[in-house]
Amino acid sequence: MGHQPNINDMLLEVKNISLSFGGVKVLSDISFDIKRNEIRAIIGPNGAGKSSMLNIINGFYHPQQGEIWFNGHKRVSEKPFKIARQGIARTFQNIALFKGMSTLDNLMTGRITKMNTNIFWQALWKGPAEREEIQHRERVEQIIDFLKIQSIRKTPVGRLPYGMQKRVELGRALAAEAKLLLLDEPMAGMNLEEKQDMCRFILDVNDEFDTTIALIEHDMGVVMDLSDRVVVLDYGRKLADGTPDEVRNNQTVIDAYLGVVHD
Amino acid sequence: MFYRESGDFKATYNKDQQIFTIALDRWFVILFVAFAFLVVPFLINDYWEKSVLVPVLVWSIAALGLNILVGYCGQLSLGTGGFMAVGAYASYKLTTAFPELNMFIVVLLSGGITAFVGILFGLPSLRIKGFYLAVATLASQFFLVWLFNKVPWFYNYSASGMIIAPERFVFGIAITGPNAPPWATYLFCLTIVVVFALIAKNLTRGRIGRSWMAIRDMDIAAEIIGVSPLYAKLSAFAVSSFYIGVAGALFFSVYLGAAEPTEAFGIDKSFLVLFMIIIGGLGTIFGSFIGAAFMTLMPVLFKNIMVGGLGWPTDLVAHLILILIGGLIMFFLIVEPHGLAQLWRIAKEKLRLWPFPH
Amino acid sequence: MSLELLNTLEVILNGLMTGVMYSLVALGFVLIFKASGVFNYAQGVMCLFAALTLVGFQTGQIPFAHLINVIFGTEYHHWSSDITGGMNSFLAIVLTVIVMIGFAYIVERFLLRHLVNQAPIILFMATIGLAFFMEGFGDLMWGANIKPLDLGIPSGGSFWWEEVTRTWATADSKYIGMYIDVLDVWAAVIAVLLVIVLTLFSQFTKTGRALRAVADDHQAALTVGISLRTIWVIVWSIAGIVALVAGIMWGSKSGVQFSLSLIALKALPVLILGGFTSIPGAIVGGLIIGVGEKLFEFWIGPMVGGATENWFAYVLALFFLMFRPQGLYGEKIIERV
Repeated sequence: MGHQPNINDMLLEVKNISLSFGGVKVLSDISFDIKRNEIRAIIGPNGAGKSSMLNIINGFYHPQQGEIWFNGHKRVSEKPFKIARQGIARTFQNIALFKGMSTLDNLMTGRITKMNTNIFWQALWKGPAEREEIQHRERVEQIIDFLKIQSIRKTPVGRLPYGMQKRVELGRALAAEAKLLLLDEPMAGMNLEEKQDMCRFILDVNDEFDTTIALIEHDMGVVMDLSDRVVVLDYGRKLADGTPDEVRNNQTVIDAYLGVVHD
Repeated sequence: MFYRESGDFKATYNKDQQIFTIALDRWFVILFVAFAFLVVPFLINDYWEKSVLVPVLVWSIAALGLNILVGYCGQLSLGTGGFMAVGAYASYKLTTAFPELNMFIVVLLSGGITAFVGILFGLPSLRIKGFYLAVATLASQFFLVWLFNKVPWFYNYSASGMIIAPERFVFGIAITGPNAPPWATYLFCLTIVVVFALIAKNLTRGRIGRSWMAIRDMDIAAEIIGVSPLYAKLSAFAVSSFYIGVAGALFFSVYLGAAEPTEAFGIDKSFLVLFMIIIGGLGTIFGSFIGAAFMTLMPVLFKNIMVGGLGWPTDLVAHLILILIGGLIMFFLIVEPHGLAQLWRIAKEKLRLWPFPH
Repeated sequence: MSLELLNTLEVILNGLMTGVMYSLVALGFVLIFKASGVFNYAQGVMCLFAALTLVGFQTGQIPFAHLINVIFGTEYHHWSSDITGGMNSFLAIVLTVIVMIGFAYIVERFLLRHLVNQAPIILFMATIGLAFFMEGFGDLMWGANIKPLDLGIPSGGSFWWEEVTRTWATADSKYIGMYIDVLDVWAAVIAVLLVIVLTLFSQFTKTGRALRAVADDHQAALTVGISLRTIWVIVWSIAGIVALVAGIMWGSKSGVQFSLSLIALKALPVLILGGFTSIPGAIVGGLIIGVGEKLFEFWIGPMVGGATENWFAYVLALFFLMFRPQGLYGEKIIERV
């Protein structure tokens, strides 16, 4: 269990979201919320609309209906990079690192929302640009230490093994020091040891940096152990929402997972 | 043994972020630049200036510019020739309208004007990618060249439709025109190249460079983690066009002296610069230089050997050079997409461990 | 009909004929792009190379004569003393087709095979390299001078059409009738035949089905036992034959020369309009560009100094892209993370 969340403090509220591509309905009328400092899991079978939900939260997809409240403000439809600047970072289901860049540069890119010297100072380098670079480098080095990836600092990430890439991607998301961290299957394709490491990191992030986390994961053991609350999606509908125990004992969830014929 | 980094520890992030992290590299480059500035001007003659040094320098700037756009930001452009024409005509209009203007300022302003045009033609990159964009940049290539051919204002209503660079000065020394001394044109170009190479390096190692590379490597992820595609792409187009415009201005006013748009800034120039950065190395500053040097000097060398040495007819040699260039492009894309710069890097890595590779 | 209208009609008609020529080149692009995802910039040079080879065979040139003569100090040019009589045209075409198939094999063996799984943009740049290589190679093999190509396809203005159209004008006007080149009409007919043959081939033969399977999904095609390499060779061969047809038409019209390879550049906007994967798109796109640039030159050209055909196609494609990035017939792209 992570931090004890403050009950009345909502970081994100999703209200009556519906999304469709052409005629295909991906999500219909989904509502849930994420409290500050909690670890919130989104689970459901493949194709349930989990990743689409994350894509909506960070503004990559725009839902046809519904509204999103983040940090006390209602969101007007905006570009993903602006939403990133409001404090939402994420990792991706299929690793989306910048393959031509080193680990260090990937992490530094994660901090791009926090850097702002203009192009002329950067061309000069000496002065503000250099100072800013060093200041952010110090922060990034802390994350490198935290994730224990010192040895691959200057390695192009394309050359790293899968588990390491996942870790670097987490590092890049952490570097943003976001209010809300979205993790899309952070443990997919990992072996047991790597999973344990990753769980440790997630709990520590939640604990040490006070980061709110929403994660998608298929490993039920992990989900039940890590998360404070779980929301269950199936065929674009919300099946259940509650603590891991409540969800575990919910009849509709059991039916959906064990397979009852859909009427 | 001789080329090593052991014992060269970095105690601060500042030291770790410098351009040449290995002391030996640093000294070598400093010596090389010092040699270029202090010794070469005393040795240079007309042949070396016109056939080797000035073209290599001018094309280096163009290659740097295109490399920022293609190699760093991943936006393929086939409009280089057109943008060079913008720089050339801008410098022509500026030198004829303001004869007193220092050539440095003329060149910088030409770059600025080209950057503006570049942003304009870069706008489609916000909606289209890959070779769709490449085709869109062809529009700029053909349209710009046509424009400079058809609108007499650009060539000051001259009867021939050509533009001829008037004699212009920097601190009282002629830089353009037939009377410019070789050492002066050389030093003029060299200064600009060194300054702009440094700026390119600074830009690419900082925040802006990282946002370009992020767009290149995975544009959607880049946008989601907070890179503004609009700013990243348009800044890449602007900086790239600025460099290419500067190169165009130098190419026309210092190197050619006279130009006709279809001839001097045709689509073949776009391909030439593209080939430079492919062979030199996409996404490296150093590669832009070796690529430019290679593509400029290789034909000269071949001509000297085959036409001068063996007495072969020039058209035959031209065909052989085409085959060679095409073959090299395919070779590098298959074997080493990072180009000659990468081969050089690998050689250095081997040298670092030599003579104890294990 | 008024004179203005008749002139416009003539421009449109000639635009359509030019458009057919563009379509022929674009067709080769589409075939290769569908089957291998390669945007083959060298398609234009393939036209040039095919036409050069055909003329070479037809007139009995000795390949690489120039190079051989320079190295060995000889004076060979043709293998028969009679310059006009090289080879039967039909035989020459067959031999050229064989050369193009051999070329397809070489491209697969030495280029494509090594670039599997590379980014599309890398492949595109590789084909630019290929284009330069082939251009140099073709020139080296057959010489770079402009060569007339005559396969006995009728050419010149059609008198019949002039007569017919003359009657459309009012009697008192001095309208002399519309000009249309018979060669262009032949080109249109051949293009239509080519598309029909290709469609039949892809619908009703086993190889055709395999081609469509590969176009749909490389991985899936591999798992059902289709050899990707064989398919690539076949596709590049077909594209080579299409290039030969296009080369013959362009060559008969304006001689076999370097500018032929530049037509490849014009085919690019055609593809943007039509979409990279659609054969009907290539045809329609070609016609739109052909008519568009002729009409623009006819109406706007005189006001701005002419020669707008140099850039019109690209600028049109550019504007088109802003509103419909996937082309006329392309599928809408849904981006995923």
